[in-house]
Amino acid sequence: MTQDQETQNVNAVDSGASPVAGEDPEMARILRRETHSSRAGAATIAAVLVIVLCVYALLESGVRAVGQPPWLIDPSTAAERVIALPAGISPLLLGASGAVIAMVGLFFLLHAVLPGRRARHLLRDPRTAVVVDDEVLASALARRARTAANVTQEQVMVVVSRQLVVVNVRPTSGSRVSEEAVRSAVQAELEEMSPVPMPSVRVNLAPSGVIGA
Amino acid sequence: MNGTPRALNRVLLFIIGVKLLAVGLLLLLLATVPAVATWWHGWSAAAWARTEELFRDTRFPGREESWLWIVAGLVLVAIIVAMIAWVSQQGKGRANFLVSSDDDSDVDGQVRIGGGVAEQALRAALSERTDLASASVATLEVKGKPGLRIRIQPRQGVAPHVLAAEVSQLLEALDLVIGQKTPVLVHMVSGARSRFTRAERVR
Repeated sequence: MTQDQETQNVNAVDSGASPVAGEDPEMARILRRETHSSRAGAATIAAVLVIVLCVYALLESGVRAVGQPPWLIDPSTAAERVIALPAGISPLLLGASGAVIAMVGLFFLLHAVLPGRRARHLLRDPRTAVVVDDEVLASALARRARTAANVTQEQVMVVVSRQLVVVNVRPTSGSRVSEEAVRSAVQAELEEMSPVPMPSVRVNLAPSGVIGA
Repeated sequence: MNGTPRALNRVLLFIIGVKLLAVGLLLLLLATVPAVATWWHGWSAAAWARTEELFRDTRFPGREESWLWIVAGLVLVAIIVAMIAWVSQQGKGRANFLVSSDDDSDVDGQVRIGGGVAEQALRAALSERTDLASASVATLEVKGKPGLRIRIQPRQGVAPHVLAAEVSQLLEALDLVIGQKTPVLVHMVSGARSRFTRAERVR
């Protein structure tokens, strides 16, 4: 599914409800760009890599063109060595360098091909486009779960992913924590926020309690 | 929200990735499979012989060197310039003016409102809030039109929808002051400052 289709789906689902991002249809484009990686980092790394290789090749071919002795290796000697492979180098070193180059290539290739979705949700707002990092959602939900379970901050851990919110609670030893109460509190908070896409809630109560909390 | 060329990034990363992957796999196969080595010797030796032939044919009259070296150098320079241009495209898209238009009145002249007006007003309004660890506002160009990006870092436990509604109210006030609706993106980020400082307990 391409990014455009995805955004269209989001819009189609929300057509009945309040708009995700104001009345401006151009906001859909901004929101799509904000929830997907721009790959600026990988692009910069790749460009620097190509520039370094090209500068070196330029140096050697320039030196060769004016008839000066080569800096590291003469281009034709280098070509002869490459043709002679795998002779002239230990197979282990050759295989290892091949593996490293292949891994770097795979890194760039996956960056290019994968959807590059970021861990962010959208919020509905009539005026602005609102994009929220999942960690911000998680800390707000953790606060609600903490008050519902009546435990300290360290006893609650919330993990927010695209479709699922996992609430892990370690109850205080000797006091009972109602899983249903935590779930309904978190669910209510989530419905108030109404992030897009709406995740479902799962509550895990640890079987052992914490002493002295 | 900035003007990073995303499709171009994808295409160029794909090309570079495929090439590196092919070279790496070839080296791996050369090291491990003898049959590949024999094929490689035949193929690459033939290709290099053709290239050397070409170099011999393109010598400067009366000299050893071929002018193909200069052509190769020019191609490399072109590639380097293209790569620098590509890097400079990342994250561009800052805008200077929030409003820049001729109005319909009879008076000659243009109305321009700098992006700093909205940036400083919003930053001042947001910096008073105790539930934010930091706030930054930038004016960016979206498809030729100016837009605002508000990046706020709420403290732990702050409800994002309440915050969004309050920022929205600020923006409606700003719309009134400026006299036109600017597209606005509110981005709530998490970071070290919100993670390691005190949680917002009372509101």
